[in-house]
Amino acid sequence: MTQLQPEATLNGNTANEPMIIAQQVEKWYDNNFHVLRGVDLTVRKGEVVVVMGPSGSGKSTFIRTFNALETYQKGSITIDGIHLSHDLKNIEAIRREVGMVFQQFNLFPHLTVLQNVTLAPIWVRRWTKARAEEVAMQLLERVGILNQAQKFPGQLSGGQQQRVAIARALAMQPKIMLFDEPTSALDPEMVREVLDVMRTLAASGMTMVCVTHEVGFAREVADRVVLMDSGLLVEEAEPNEFFNSPKEERTKKFLSQIL
Amino acid sequence: MTTLHTVPTSAPSKPASTPTAWLRKNLFNSWFNSLLTIAIVLILGRTLFGFISWATSAAKWQVIPANLPIFFVGRFPADQYWRLDLMLAIIAGLGGFTWGVVGRNQPKLLTRNLLIGFGILALVLLLLPTSFPYRLVLLAIEAFTIGMIVIGKQVGNRSPAIAQWLPLAWVLTFFIALWLMRGGFGLDVVPTTAWGGWILTIFMSVVSIVLSFPFGVLLALGRQSSLPVIHWLCTAYIEIIRGIPLISILFIGLVMVPLFLPAGSRPDLVLRAILGLTLFAAAYQAETIRGGLQAIPKGQTEAANALGLNTPLTLGLIVLPQALKISIPAIVGLFISLLQDTTLVAIVGLSDLLGISRSILANPLYIGRYAEVYLFIGALYWAVCYIMSWAARRLEARLNSEH
Repeated sequence: MTQLQPEATLNGNTANEPMIIAQQVEKWYDNNFHVLRGVDLTVRKGEVVVVMGPSGSGKSTFIRTFNALETYQKGSITIDGIHLSHDLKNIEAIRREVGMVFQQFNLFPHLTVLQNVTLAPIWVRRWTKARAEEVAMQLLERVGILNQAQKFPGQLSGGQQQRVAIARALAMQPKIMLFDEPTSALDPEMVREVLDVMRTLAASGMTMVCVTHEVGFAREVADRVVLMDSGLLVEEAEPNEFFNSPKEERTKKFLSQIL
Repeated sequence: MTTLHTVPTSAPSKPASTPTAWLRKNLFNSWFNSLLTIAIVLILGRTLFGFISWATSAAKWQVIPANLPIFFVGRFPADQYWRLDLMLAIIAGLGGFTWGVVGRNQPKLLTRNLLIGFGILALVLLLLPTSFPYRLVLLAIEAFTIGMIVIGKQVGNRSPAIAQWLPLAWVLTFFIALWLMRGGFGLDVVPTTAWGGWILTIFMSVVSIVLSFPFGVLLALGRQSSLPVIHWLCTAYIEIIRGIPLISILFIGLVMVPLFLPAGSRPDLVLRAILGLTLFAAAYQAETIRGGLQAIPKGQTEAANALGLNTPLTLGLIVLPQALKISIPAIVGLFISLLQDTTLVAIVGLSDLLGISRSILANPLYIGRYAEVYLFIGALYWAVCYIMSWAARRLEARLNSEH
């Protein structure tokens, strides 16, 4: 695991322009629940940041503000130099640059695997069908599902579906990938195949923000690990420091519960 | 009481296979059930016997064959019947072709049950009380339909791209059918006042359901909208229409609409009836489709949004295709009830199947032949509705078995 780290930091050093700058982000739900209470986070190009925290801590909500699936009321978020406001044009521009993988896969069940992957490139990027399919086939090969391209999502296992979901997000050639608990809905024996795909993706220099409870993945791949609790960012540190010598009491308590 | 709950120690005896044993087990297993069985058999037998003796002796069935053309096409001029035959041939042919193309992946398209159905239809056509050459024409149309199913399957297998031209072909067919019925452009004009019978019933139902469909989709989406004005307008429309009986809507369309229009312009009666039926059906379609929309998980919209699809694309490519697929069986059910609801236009003065039957019954020659006529049109309605609900069940089974 230490062999991979120099590569990651190298990526970070050569082009360490910030891709995500979140400043004092605050959000209230409709029922006035204060879910985000001023969160700061900066993610540089090529960095992999793992967000951990107990359920209800606002970690999913926080990363979902990065592609405007959730709105926020205070603070500011800038993605790749574009300020994320209520302007619909900005939102669409950001969504083209940010890919997302969901806990429940959210594949389109009425389309084949190949159609799932080519849909957005054809309709949003306006690629020709031939070009979109060529790129899709390369991606499906990369995630190891090439021979399932003509099947429907319902015919695949959970792990395969999640790998298709990753390929679908990558087909838009995003600059940032968000992972919202990508392995939480999987059977234990399928977690590994998805994490392997995420590992290779991280090694290729993709900027990634992952909400996950996979400690092994966080230790090995992450540049930084962040702990959120009750809508606040409690601790932010390199994985070694985070897991071996956490500063905050809250982090120690959390780690004692999951390790 | 306790004996009821004891577990039998021996294996349950083999179910009896002889008819008498079956009767004893199911119909005569206690004195009360035996009594019930005998009473029911007596009542059923008495009714059936009464009906059969009426149908074979007292009933005067001549009213049906004598008026057969009127039942089917109303007062359409007899020398123009060929136009309707041509229309039937075109629609049946395209219907068969569509079936062949859509079902091209089925291992066996002409199943045994379907062939039996076609056989019964051929027998009915052969025994129709019309001229012999005309019976041959109808048989030829049936053979043409079966042929088109086979051709459709082969063409569909050779070039599946043909499937995307079918909707266009149907739209074109609608206008050709309208032209053949209405006339003009070289054909004698047949005013809609001369339309009637079964053909008017079918025409009004098909046009209303087709027109109400996009309207219903828009209403359903509007009701789901987060914009308050659109949401409330659509909700109000749906709830108001669903709270008014169809007959009132038809009267409003017939009596009140002309009041709002400039004097002298009286829109066509059939058109007004279709307008009323469409506005009525749209509210019900909207609720059916809304049910489908609500069945689509929120994650689908989120995934589409996250990929950069805007709202129209998300609706058109992701949400609606799934929602409509779920709604198809309910939409067919709606169509069946609309077909029956069209009988109400008879009350506002149109001669649909029910209306034309009433005018036949007003003829002094056929006075008092209510039972014969109503049984006949009842059977006609039942046959068409049953075929549709059978088709809907088949469709549902196929959609459920997919992926």
